[in-house]
Amino acid sequence: MKTIELDSLTFAAMLRQGAVSLGKDKKVINDLNVFPIPDGDTGDNMLMTLKAGCNAIENHLGTLSELASAASSGMLLGARGNSGVILSRIFAGLTKGLQGVIVADTKAFAKAMDAAVSEAYKAVPVPVEGTIITVMREGTAGADASQDLNHYFETLLESMQSSLDHTPELLQVLKDAGVVDSGGAGLLSIFRGMNDALNGKISQEEIEPTAAAPVPTVELNKFDENSKLEFGYCTEFLLRLMRSKVDLDSFDEKEIIDYLNKVGESVVAFREGSIVKVHVHTFKPGEILNYCQQFGEFLTLKIENMTLQHHQTVNQNNASFKLPPKPYGIVTVASGKGLINAFREIGADEVIEGGQTMNPSTQDFLDAFSRINAQHILVFPNNKNIKMAADQAAELYKNADIHVLPSTSIGEGYYGIGYIDRDNPNIDDIIDSITEIMQSVVTGMVSTAIRDAEGEQVSVHTGDYVGYSGKQLLSDSPDREEAAKALVERLGAASRDVMLVFFGEEVPQDEAERLVADLQTQYKNLEIMLNNGRQPVYDYIFVLC
Amino acid sequence: MLTFFSDTDCDITPKECAAYNIKLISMPYTVGEQVIYPYIDFKEFDSHKFYDMLRAGTMPTTSAMSEEAYIQHFEPEFAAGNDIIYVHFSSATSNTFNIMHQALEKLKQKYPERKFYEVDTLGITALSYNVVLECADLYKAGKTAEEIVEWAKVEVPKFPMYFFADDLKFFRRSGRVSGLAATMGGFIGIRPIIYLDNDGKMVSIGKETGRAKAIARLVKYVEELGEDVKAHRVVIGHSDALDIAAEAERQLKEKFGEDLIVIIVPVNPTIGSHCGPNAIGICFHAKHR
Repeated sequence: MKTIELDSLTFAAMLRQGAVSLGKDKKVINDLNVFPIPDGDTGDNMLMTLKAGCNAIENHLGTLSELASAASSGMLLGARGNSGVILSRIFAGLTKGLQGVIVADTKAFAKAMDAAVSEAYKAVPVPVEGTIITVMREGTAGADASQDLNHYFETLLESMQSSLDHTPELLQVLKDAGVVDSGGAGLLSIFRGMNDALNGKISQEEIEPTAAAPVPTVELNKFDENSKLEFGYCTEFLLRLMRSKVDLDSFDEKEIIDYLNKVGESVVAFREGSIVKVHVHTFKPGEILNYCQQFGEFLTLKIENMTLQHHQTVNQNNASFKLPPKPYGIVTVASGKGLINAFREIGADEVIEGGQTMNPSTQDFLDAFSRINAQHILVFPNNKNIKMAADQAAELYKNADIHVLPSTSIGEGYYGIGYIDRDNPNIDDIIDSITEIMQSVVTGMVSTAIRDAEGEQVSVHTGDYVGYSGKQLLSDSPDREEAAKALVERLGAASRDVMLVFFGEEVPQDEAERLVADLQTQYKNLEIMLNNGRQPVYDYIFVLC
Repeated sequence: MLTFFSDTDCDITPKECAAYNIKLISMPYTVGEQVIYPYIDFKEFDSHKFYDMLRAGTMPTTSAMSEEAYIQHFEPEFAAGNDIIYVHFSSATSNTFNIMHQALEKLKQKYPERKFYEVDTLGITALSYNVVLECADLYKAGKTAEEIVEWAKVEVPKFPMYFFADDLKFFRRSGRVSGLAATMGGFIGIRPIIYLDNDGKMVSIGKETGRAKAIARLVKYVEELGEDVKAHRVVIGHSDALDIAAEAERQLKEKFGEDLIVIIVPVNPTIGSHCGPNAIGICFHAKHR
């Protein structure tokens, strides 16, 4: 299939496929990033930028020119990081080149690509070769526009690849690190995806999500009272030039760009209408803000201490927004909204959804651990069948000391967690006291029997309500409340002090309240605490201590 | 003449004050933006309504009174040529008394002849209430300020109060209890047992599982530590937990006899802001605290 004319629908698909491709390569690209500050997020930044463009053209109808313009505006606002900003400029240039074009033939598109190159170079006051702009320039120069668009893209990709391959020759820092330029690699990935779409290879898969938090990962304690500001601040903002402050028609943004170059580094700045986008590394962001405010007002503003970014990358840490680790983190397993909530309320940092009928994997535990920033993580699997996965995860995990407690029931887990003295610095003490309280707890459950069974104490009939504890069948009745009452009695309620009741999603609240009132009358010294566990499978969970 | 002062943190009501000729200082608490002075901003303390508000999530705060407020309380007495004895709640739980002493310094310059006597009950709520009534009995019997202060020196350390609360978040927030384990015991029915030590500070000395055991432990303290228990009042303070207080009373009377003098008082809102609802404490006469 040969594409002679590019229309807006195809171009939209190309942009989206470019994002899909970049999403897949994102990790590799993040790892390439050694310039200018090893913050390791080039792939994320470029993807966020491109996605902002894709979002802006969703359900967009119109000419190629209009579509490109919409995408470019989206990228302008969504641009993040150096490479992201340059990427947005590349598409802004492309848009300029496509102005008024309804559908583009190869020549028109190639011309627009040239415009994209020059816009990219304009965005960087002191262009550094061996970066994304080099790949864009050399790639475009090597592309053959004499035939159809497919051929153009084929040759474009080839020359972009060879340009990317020799970026280390142009830039010592890449050579030292033994990598190619990450921004260039990202650009190539995008154009590869665009080429796929051009050739009809459009995947329906979702674009890889970018890091959820817009705030980059930061370990605040890496910049302490004695730290030296090594790298200054990465400062990015959109400035709206104000009619009250400048003459919009005659104002030359070069004034700002020249100033930025004098006071900062890694300057990327350009103007789009009355908006000036600025990216600069500086030791004194305040001065730059004051200077720029004489021309307008800020639309968005982001200032980050790059020493923190730097350290964070050196430490290879991916956890979001790092504070000093707390002493104890808690992971447990439960199912049912109310029960999960109850565990959160009592202090669990992570509640993995699961239980008897759905055992969480080792990976589930590892994921939960990685979301907690603690020295010690106490794990309550609450089930014999789940403990092994937790143990295995504990073996594999290296960023915290993992302690898997032998909790075999919801009740043991709940009591164990409730008993943790968070002020006690001695982990062994804590584990001893938890173990002790867990041993003094007994848990019983009421559920529906799915088959007949003979227990030592009761015969269970299919469809009846059955009360049991561990593997022991303790009560059976066609009536749920009767089964519950008999179970509570056999669990030894008469000699217990406290009973927690979690009623399941099948049980109406008034039934649970009635049951508790009856039990309270029967066991005067027992303190009964009713909780809406909303758990599946188990109509009642009784925890006695 | 000697004028007897006490404060609302001691749980004493205006009605009782009138009977004993006590002047009452109202200790404020704050709900949201509103500063509330007990028995000035309301006539009767609706304990149930107040603690239900706390159960629903409101967290009142308390603050020290101003120097000016103390001067307004004390100066008219000095001006009229009266001396003052003030029996108040534990100075270890509030810095309001530092401010009071600043006010007194000023008044001393103006009224160098006048005397100010102070009895620190080294307690709050039921404990303070018990000591205030003991002092008021002496006052009513015509004892001098010096005699009351002497009595207090010997006797105040003999009025302990042991207590527990359902919900520890109030205590934890107030930061006024030492030795309190940072557990979530409230969720699993585990209650720290707290007492007021010889310095008037709240100290956690153990825990019990379940309300029944916690009540039993308080009663056991009365049995084991008690001295001339029946010759004094036993005061049970509760924060909207009358059923628990009544159960404690029943057990006490079972042990000591029906003629045991038991007074049940609602914990005032200012102290209640720190202990939360469903707390009960027992104050009695003992060998030591």
